[in-house]
Amino acid sequence: MSTVVNLAEQLINGISLGMVYVLLAAGLSIIFGVMDVINFSHGELFALGAYFALSIVDPLGSGVGFWVALILSPLLVGIVGVGIERFTIRPLYGRNPLYHILLTFGLVLIINDLITLGWGPEQQNLGVPEYLTTPIALGGIEVSVYNYFMIGFTALLAAGIWLFLTKSKYGMIIRAGSEDRQMVRNVGIDIDRYYTLIFGIGAALAAVGGVILGGYQSVSPGMGSSVIVPAFIIVVLGGLGSFRGAVFGGLLVGIVRTLTRTYAGSELFELQGTIVAVPDFEGVTIFLLMIGVLLYKPQGLFGSSEHGGGAESTLLTGVESQVFSDGTRRTLGLAFLVLLALAPLVFLLTGNTYYITLLNQMFIFAIFALSLDVVMGYTGLVPLGHTMFYGVGAYAAALVMIHLTSSFLIALAVAILVCAILAWIVGSLSIRVSGIYFAMITLAFAELLYNMVYKFDFTGGSDGLVGWEPLVGIAGVGIELGSISLPLGLIEITPATAFYYIAFGLALLSLYFATRVMNAPFGSVLASIGETEERTKFLGYDVRKYKRRVFVISGGMAGMAGGLLAVNPSTFIVSPDQTLAWIHSGEVIVMTLVGGMGTLVGPMLGAGFFVGAEDILSSYTEQWRLVIGTVFVLFVLFVPRGLISLPSVIADVYSESRFDNSIATKKDMEESK
Amino acid sequence: MSGDYSTLGPSQRAGAEYAIQEINNSDDYSYELEPVYYDTETTASAGSQAAQQAIQEDGADYLVGAISSSVALGLNELAASEETVYFAGGAAVPITGEQCNEWVFRFETNTAQVAEAISGYTVENIGSNVWFHYADYAYGTSVYNRTSMRMEEASADFSEIGQTSSSLGASNYESYITQIGNSDANVAVLGMTGGDLVTFVNQAADRGLTEDVALVAPTMAYKSTRAGTGSNSVGTFGGVRYDPSIDIGDNQAFVDGFQSEYDELPGSYERTGYGSVRLIAKGMERAGSTDPAEVRDTLEGGEFTTVLGDITLRETDRQATNPAWIAELTEGDGDSADVDILSKTEGADALRPASEFGCELN
Repeated sequence: MSTVVNLAEQLINGISLGMVYVLLAAGLSIIFGVMDVINFSHGELFALGAYFALSIVDPLGSGVGFWVALILSPLLVGIVGVGIERFTIRPLYGRNPLYHILLTFGLVLIINDLITLGWGPEQQNLGVPEYLTTPIALGGIEVSVYNYFMIGFTALLAAGIWLFLTKSKYGMIIRAGSEDRQMVRNVGIDIDRYYTLIFGIGAALAAVGGVILGGYQSVSPGMGSSVIVPAFIIVVLGGLGSFRGAVFGGLLVGIVRTLTRTYAGSELFELQGTIVAVPDFEGVTIFLLMIGVLLYKPQGLFGSSEHGGGAESTLLTGVESQVFSDGTRRTLGLAFLVLLALAPLVFLLTGNTYYITLLNQMFIFAIFALSLDVVMGYTGLVPLGHTMFYGVGAYAAALVMIHLTSSFLIALAVAILVCAILAWIVGSLSIRVSGIYFAMITLAFAELLYNMVYKFDFTGGSDGLVGWEPLVGIAGVGIELGSISLPLGLIEITPATAFYYIAFGLALLSLYFATRVMNAPFGSVLASIGETEERTKFLGYDVRKYKRRVFVISGGMAGMAGGLLAVNPSTFIVSPDQTLAWIHSGEVIVMTLVGGMGTLVGPMLGAGFFVGAEDILSSYTEQWRLVIGTVFVLFVLFVPRGLISLPSVIADVYSESRFDNSIATKKDMEESK
Repeated sequence: MSGDYSTLGPSQRAGAEYAIQEINNSDDYSYELEPVYYDTETTASAGSQAAQQAIQEDGADYLVGAISSSVALGLNELAASEETVYFAGGAAVPITGEQCNEWVFRFETNTAQVAEAISGYTVENIGSNVWFHYADYAYGTSVYNRTSMRMEEASADFSEIGQTSSSLGASNYESYITQIGNSDANVAVLGMTGGDLVTFVNQAADRGLTEDVALVAPTMAYKSTRAGTGSNSVGTFGGVRYDPSIDIGDNQAFVDGFQSEYDELPGSYERTGYGSVRLIAKGMERAGSTDPAEVRDTLEGGEFTTVLGDITLRETDRQATNPAWIAELTEGDGDSADVDILSKTEGADALRPASEFGCELN
C-alpha cells in the first residue's frame, strides 16, 4: 500500500470528522459571537440530537428512519434550544459571560441526566441504511460510503448556512451583530430579538452533528462532553463569531488529530544508532495548536478584535448581607467557627465519623475555591483550567511523600512552591490575552498536564499514584497521620479528626492571608483592574505584573488545596480523573459563583454547599445531577450574587424595599473600593 | 454507576442484588446480608468517598465492586486501612498483583488469565501476524504486554506487525483501522473495553476490516460489547470469562434463577457481582462468624464451588483460579452475535504464579 494512498485515506478520515466539528463550532461560534454566551450545554444538545434520532430510527427502521431522523431530530433540538434561550438565558443578557458558564454548566447536568434517565446509560448503535455503511474503493482509496456522505451532506449544509449568512437579511443582521453589536443597535435594529433564532439554529446544527456522528460511531451519554472541549478550541482558533473561522478550524482540528494519530511514533530516520520518531502528541496537539495560535494572534485566525473584553457587561460580585449589622455578622461568624471547631467531637461521640471525612473534603475545596476567587473575583480573569494547580499540587505532594520524605509539611510546601512556579509560567504566557481567550488558554495548559500525567510512568498513568503515609512532623520526627489514635475521655481522636484540625487551620489561615492581601494596596490595585483595566494602566500601574502576581498567589493556594488532598488520610489514590480533569475547573467556578464571587468567604461557603449538596442528594436519588443542575440554574436566575447575598435577597422579598436595598448595595460597593 | 463504565456497573450490581436476594431467602445461610449501594462515578475520589460513607456511616464490613482499575486500587488501600474484606470488580492485574493486600479478594477473572486463554489459541489457529491496538491506560497496556509476551512464548511463527494506541474514550478509530488494513497483519488484538471497543469494532466493520483481519479482544464476547456492535462483531474472536451456556459448577441454577427474576440471561458482570457476594456469604458460613478478619482468614486459600466450577482463592494473592475460554462470535438469532466457544484453558493453566505479578502474600 503506497504512502500516498494511505495519506489520502487518512485525509478523508480527518475531513469527515472535521466536518462534524464544523457543524458544532459554527453554532457555538455564532452564539458566542452574537450573544456572548459561553454555551457549555452545546455538547449535550449534540448528544440529544443523536438520542432523538435513536427513538425515531427504532420504530421506522434504519432505511427510512435515518433520513427522517436527520430532519426531525434537529428540528426537535432546535425547539429545545429556543426554550432554553427564552427561559434561562434571556434573563441574563447584559451580565458578564461568566454567568452563562454557571447556567449552561447547570444545563449540562440537567440534560445529561435526562438523557440517562430516558434512554439508559448504555452505549447504543444508531441504525444507518445499509448502502451507506459499505466500504467503497475509488482509485485505490478504500473508505466507507458513510465518509463521503458525511463530507457531502455537511458541506451542503455549511454552504446553506453560508448563503443564509451572506445573502439573507437575517443573516446580514446576525453577521453584523457578531462583528459589532452596539453598531447594529445604533442603526435601530433590535438585535436582541434575533437571539432566540440564533440559539435555535445553533442547537439544531449541533443536533445534525449528533445524528451524523452517532451513525458513524455509537450513541452514549458521554458523547456530549467528549466533543465540547474540541469544539470550543475550534471556535477560539478560528476566531469568535467567525463562520469562516469555524469551518477552517473544524477541518484543521479534524485533520491534525487524525494525522498525528496516524504518524505518531513512526520512525523518521536513524541518527548514529538512535531512532528519531514523530513524538506521540495524540490528545495534546490541538491544545498546543491553540496555545500557539493565541500567543501569535490573540483574536484567533479569522477573528475581529471586538470580543473578549466583556466591556459592556456587568460583573456581579457578591455583596455581604446588609441585613445584619457588622456586630451581628461578627457574632455569627464566630459562632460558625466555634461550631466547626466542635463538630468533629460531636460526630465522634455519636459514632458517625463519615461526616468528618465529608467536612475534610469541604475544607479542601473551600481553599481551592478561595484561590480561584482571588483571581476571578478581583481581577475578572476567568481561568478555565484552574484545576491544573489543584492537580499538580496533589501529584507533587504525593510524589514527595512517596520518594523524598513523608513529612506532610514539606509535602505541602513543595506543592505550593511547584504550583506557584507553574502559575508564574502559565500566567506569563496567558495574561497577554484576556476574557474568553484567557479562559481557553488556561484550559489548554490544564489539558496538557492532564494528558502528560497519563503518559508518564512516574505519575502512575491512568491509575494514578498510590502508597504513601503522611507524617505529622518533620525530618522523620513525628507520628504517622494514619496511625494517630488518641483516647480522650469518651472519644478517640482518629486520623481523620487530626487532619480535620490541620485542614481547618489552613483554611482559616488562607482566608486571613487572602483578606490581608486584598485589603492591602496590592488588593486595591487588583480591584481597580477588575473595574477598569484601562484606567489603572493610565494611572501608571503595570497591570500585567499585578495580574501575574495574583495568579501566582492563587496558583500556590490551589496547590496547597491539592497537597491537602494527597495528605488527607481518606485519600488513597491520586488519579488524573479526580484531580486534573477539566470538569473540576468548571466545578470550582460554580462553587465560587454559587457562594458569591469577590467576597473570599462566599466561595468557601459555596464549596461547602456544593460538596454537601452533592453528597446528600446522591444518597437520596440517582438523579442528583438533575437536581443540582436545577439548583444552579435557579441560583443564576434569582440569586446571582451568591449564597452570601441570600439574607438580603430574602429580606428583599419580605420587605419589598428593593429601592433602599439597592442604595445600600451601592454603598457597600463604594466602601469596598 | 456513572462515568466511563456506566454500561457495566449496573450489570454487576444486578448480579449482586440477585445474590443477596437468594442468600437472604435461603435456609443454607444463617446470616442475612444488608446491602447498601453507592455510585463510584468511575472516579477514584467519588469511589473512595462512597466506600467510606458505606463503611463509616452505614457500618459496612464488606465491599464489592468497582470496575475501573483506578477506583479499585483506591478501594484496595481503603479496605486495608479500614479492615474490610473487599471483592474487587475490576480485571486489572495490579489489584491482586503489585497492589495486593490481605483484605482484597477477586472473583473476577483478571486480564492476565484471559490473555492466557486467547494468546496461544490465536497465534496457533487464527493467525500469527499480529497487530496490537490498545487504549492508552493501565488496562490497555496490560493487555498488550501480556498477550504479546504469551504469543511470543506460544509460537515461533509469531510476528508483531505493528502496534498503535489511542487515548481512553477516543471516538474515532478510522486512522488506526486504515493502518491495520494496509499492513500485513491477519490478526488485530484489541486492548480496549466498553465504549472504546464498541466504537472500534463498528468502525472496523464499516470499513470492511473485519473481512480481512481477525479482530481478537479479551472483552469482545461480553454481553455489552455484543449489544453495542450488533452484527458487526460477527466473525471476531473474544476471550470469555463467563458464558451462561457453560455447564460447570452450579452455573445452571444461577442462570435459571436469574433469568426468571430479570427475564434475561446473566452476563459476565452479573456473574462477578453474584459470585463475589456469594463467596462472602460462604466465607461467613464456613467461619461461623460475620467478623471480617475471621471471614478473611477462611476465604484465604479456600476452595469453593462457584458458577465457574471449583475454584481456589489463592493464598498468595487472593485471586480466584477461574478457567477462561476463547470464542468466535457468530450470527445470532437476535440483534447481537452468538458466542461459540472454541477452546478452554483450565484454571490452573490460566493463572500464572502470583510472584510473576508482583504479589507475595504468603
